[in-house]
Amino acid sequence: MAITRRELLKGSGVIAALAAFGDLIFNFSEVMAKESMASTPYAPNEDLLIPSTDVMCVNFCGIRVRRVNGVIRAIYGNPESPHNAGHLCPKGISGLFETYNPYRVKKPLKRTNPKKGPGEDPKWVEISYEEAFDEITKRLKKIMGENPSKLIWQHAKGKYLIRDHFPKAFCKAFGTPNVVHRTTVCEAARHVADEITWGYHGILPDLDNCNYLINMGANYFEAEQWSRWLDRKTIENMERGMKLVVVEPRLSNLAAKAQEWIPIRPATDAVFLLAMARELINNGFVDEKFLVTYTNAPILVAEDGKFIRRDGKPLIWDRKSNSARPYEGDVEPALSGSYTVDGRSCRTAFEVFKDSIRDVTPEYAAEVTGVPAETIKRIAREFGEHARIGATVIKDGHVLRYRPVAIHTFRGLVTHEYGVQNWRCAHIVMMLVGAQDAVGGLHLHDVYKDPKYMEPSKCEYPPKRVDLQESVYFPHGTHNVAQQVALTIDDPKSYGLQYEPEIMICYATNRPFSTSEVKKQIEGYRKIYSVVIDTQFTELADMADIVLPDKTYLESWHWSDTRWNLEAKHVAIRQPIVNAFNIKYDAFDILMELAERLGIRDKYIEEINKAWKIKLAPGRKYSSEEVVREIAKANGTDIEYLKKHGLKAKKLHAEDIYLKGIEAKFKGAGKPKMNFYAENLLLTAERIKETVQKYGIKNIRADNLDIVYSPFPRKEHAFPAPHIEAKDYDLYLITYKRMYFEQSNNAVIPVLREIAHDADENFVCINTETAKKKGINDGDYVYVESRVGKIKIRAKLTEGIRPDTVAISYHYGHWSNSIPAYAKKGANPNWVLELHPDRISGMNSFNDTKVKVYKA
Amino acid sequence: MRFGMVIDMSRCFGCRACVAACKTENMVQPGNYWNFVLEYEQGKYPNVRKIFTPMNCMHCENPPCMKACPEKAITKNKYGIVLIDYDKCKGRKYCIAACPYGVIHFINKEKTFYPDGQKTPYENLPPDARHPLHRKKPGVAEKCTLCWHRIEKALKEGKKPGSDYDTSPSCIKVCPANARYFGDLDDPNSEVSRLIAEKRAIQLKKEFGTRPQVYYIV
Repeated sequence: MAITRRELLKGSGVIAALAAFGDLIFNFSEVMAKESMASTPYAPNEDLLIPSTDVMCVNFCGIRVRRVNGVIRAIYGNPESPHNAGHLCPKGISGLFETYNPYRVKKPLKRTNPKKGPGEDPKWVEISYEEAFDEITKRLKKIMGENPSKLIWQHAKGKYLIRDHFPKAFCKAFGTPNVVHRTTVCEAARHVADEITWGYHGILPDLDNCNYLINMGANYFEAEQWSRWLDRKTIENMERGMKLVVVEPRLSNLAAKAQEWIPIRPATDAVFLLAMARELINNGFVDEKFLVTYTNAPILVAEDGKFIRRDGKPLIWDRKSNSARPYEGDVEPALSGSYTVDGRSCRTAFEVFKDSIRDVTPEYAAEVTGVPAETIKRIAREFGEHARIGATVIKDGHVLRYRPVAIHTFRGLVTHEYGVQNWRCAHIVMMLVGAQDAVGGLHLHDVYKDPKYMEPSKCEYPPKRVDLQESVYFPHGTHNVAQQVALTIDDPKSYGLQYEPEIMICYATNRPFSTSEVKKQIEGYRKIYSVVIDTQFTELADMADIVLPDKTYLESWHWSDTRWNLEAKHVAIRQPIVNAFNIKYDAFDILMELAERLGIRDKYIEEINKAWKIKLAPGRKYSSEEVVREIAKANGTDIEYLKKHGLKAKKLHAEDIYLKGIEAKFKGAGKPKMNFYAENLLLTAERIKETVQKYGIKNIRADNLDIVYSPFPRKEHAFPAPHIEAKDYDLYLITYKRMYFEQSNNAVIPVLREIAHDADENFVCINTETAKKKGINDGDYVYVESRVGKIKIRAKLTEGIRPDTVAISYHYGHWSNSIPAYAKKGANPNWVLELHPDRISGMNSFNDTKVKVYKA
Repeated sequence: MRFGMVIDMSRCFGCRACVAACKTENMVQPGNYWNFVLEYEQGKYPNVRKIFTPMNCMHCENPPCMKACPEKAITKNKYGIVLIDYDKCKGRKYCIAACPYGVIHFINKEKTFYPDGQKTPYENLPPDARHPLHRKKPGVAEKCTLCWHRIEKALKEGKKPGSDYDTSPSCIKVCPANARYFGDLDDPNSEVSRLIAEKRAIQLKKEFGTRPQVYYIV
């Protein structure tokens, strides 16, 4: 409704009339001016809304930054963003305080205390950019001549600030393979399980059409990727009638809003899911057509676990001809059964699976998981019934498979020693009912984009990369192995590395703080000359030899990352709003400057051109803004439009969502198939064995390869090493993330520390009954002790956690010398977490440790 | 027009975006809250729930704070919004004692967001670049204004308050759960009026006779 002129006039009349009574109406400022407040009218010189993209976390929400008199006054959501639709979290709103943080890195700094580590004051001295670039260039030139692999580049948030195309291009031009991102501290194992199973990674549940969602510990009401899409879609669709079941040991905010919370014993999810699979099969909830049409479930498996092949082609049992044939032409593959082919007895992969879970009964699962057998049976039945196997639905004129059930996860399933196998379990359960890429099921992103992922690994040895990615150590570790870098630096020879890393440049990452067994991380990073580019004094910066300031996301030009969803995809930019401390270079400029000084500028530009498919002419340096303009041009998006709107979205249709994935890539005879059975893992294990024997590798355990790399997930995957070995430690420790901080970032932002009654410090969540038995009261300081460390932390008594489990959040317990005391409160659980990385993917095992807790 | 708010507790998942949005928009004194979220557990393991209750000024039809203020510094404007005049307020805190909702806070002394008295450029914005409601000083009470500065601007520009992001209080459209609604309680067809009727929204502590204009869907 618009206000008419008459009403406006009426309004002012009332002001005049009521001002006498001191009432405050309509034009408050006018009234204030008339009254005592003043003489100063509200008249800012400038009041602008500048659209940009957030990177306080990895959701990349569309934002509008309000600038008043050259100062960031507030940050609002951008309603045009198909991801966050105008919504923001507290971090995004508080981003201005990151930019205006007085404790930022503001000048290039050089360490004068050679001793590195917690408690060691780096004794920074300010140096000029010239001096900093000189020293770094001198050192880089030396190794460029010897062996450029000696340079390691690491980033985390940095990847999302400038996009990893740039550091990757720089490192290519320089000649090092060592660009390491942090995904093994996030969800790498989920990606790798996706890749092994269907040839690429990335999933989203189709929430608008889903009726039954099982969430295995993805806490997107507090943290995580896609939160700002998943949260509102979940809320909206729960109101529509979607049932949300959350399976996790701690009552997260998501579990708190779910229809059902199933507090499962930590790390035992594989058994829960396998028991579900068994129930589904036993009760006839099997989409046979799906398994036969899209997956390798009908392929014949010999006694040795390998496919029966003819001319290299795996065979199925054709029911038409009653013979074994390749899955080509006019065949009718049998899903079940045992057969004899060329004198060899074999079973279909589906038959092998059924046999493999014969003993994973609901009763057995109840013992392992702590979830009652009846609950497991009921959840399986509800999942099976809601799947509506065989149903179709019409969308945009297409008849589509309709399976409105999905399983979603993030850290919950995958931050384990058997992370890949855990998410494989969920895929298998969903394949049984045919939920992948179905309407209402689990959407798979860019299916079969990289077929090589579905092959066995080459199991490289000796490793080329310092993080041992895709080597015999982490054969399917395609998302880098963040925590391994420090360990390799500490003792490169023990991993067969043919060189000694010498220089490390880290951009917006905080490795020793964010990976488990912190002590070992520190040992490694002590030994290397390091340069840190960051806005804040991280624990890694604390150990650096040179620290270079960066501009924040509100101070720089970037071609932003964005999050796609099932409605739209979009491109977005960041544009500088202010430059709070007059910082001269951002990370982009630093790379350009170093490339120039190293004499590899044109090579770097050539690599940038390749990475972005743009055409920057060689012969000069470029600014970030220039490159953003070029990328926009190549993308076919008007930069002026982006400056005005921040982003440009493209709506997606049913065809884009449901028909370009497995329907296009895997459907029917003659097409590749989803790996229901992961023969590739079995073949990888064979290669590992050969390599270990050939080179006499001592630090790879070879006696359990058949379990670690089994083609089907097994019940053994519910028992990570500490759960078996740490018998004297009575409690399971899990870790989680909270809404108020992202990873290890922004502990110094005061507004985020006061945003909730319990945001200023973290605590160990302990079940009220358990605490009582141990004489622990709410707020008491306790020790949490594992086989590798001990921390002191406050106890928080809660009903929202299993009695045999305690939970500690991240973000807190900083020790950097250069941040104020208030930002160091709390404790970091990584000091006590044992590291038993997933041996398929390199994923960090953040949720497998056992501890004891006692009063301090 | 009489503005009010509906908060859907079944949707709120306790993210505190509304708290942060309110803090920065209204330059709320550190340690004070115009808007906060109460959080508590209900039940025994494993039958346990977390309840999140966002709280801000209820902009009562019958505001006890207004009656209690000896300086007449608190008024209710014709749009139903209860406001404190910082120049009249003498910091006697009667309003804080009288409010049954605990949503009025006192500015004891000027506090900077970052400690050690370091003011950010945001805090250094001169008075003429701040709406009068954001020109606070020590010794006065502060509380939610329903972002009157936004409503006022909308009315001046002939826009309907609550019709979009910028004409709504800062806590509304930012909410990731769409748990907060703002609008005209006098208009029976407004979203807030319809929600109150359809979802049987309730008012908190009705027994005090305050007649709050913030409603809760529980």
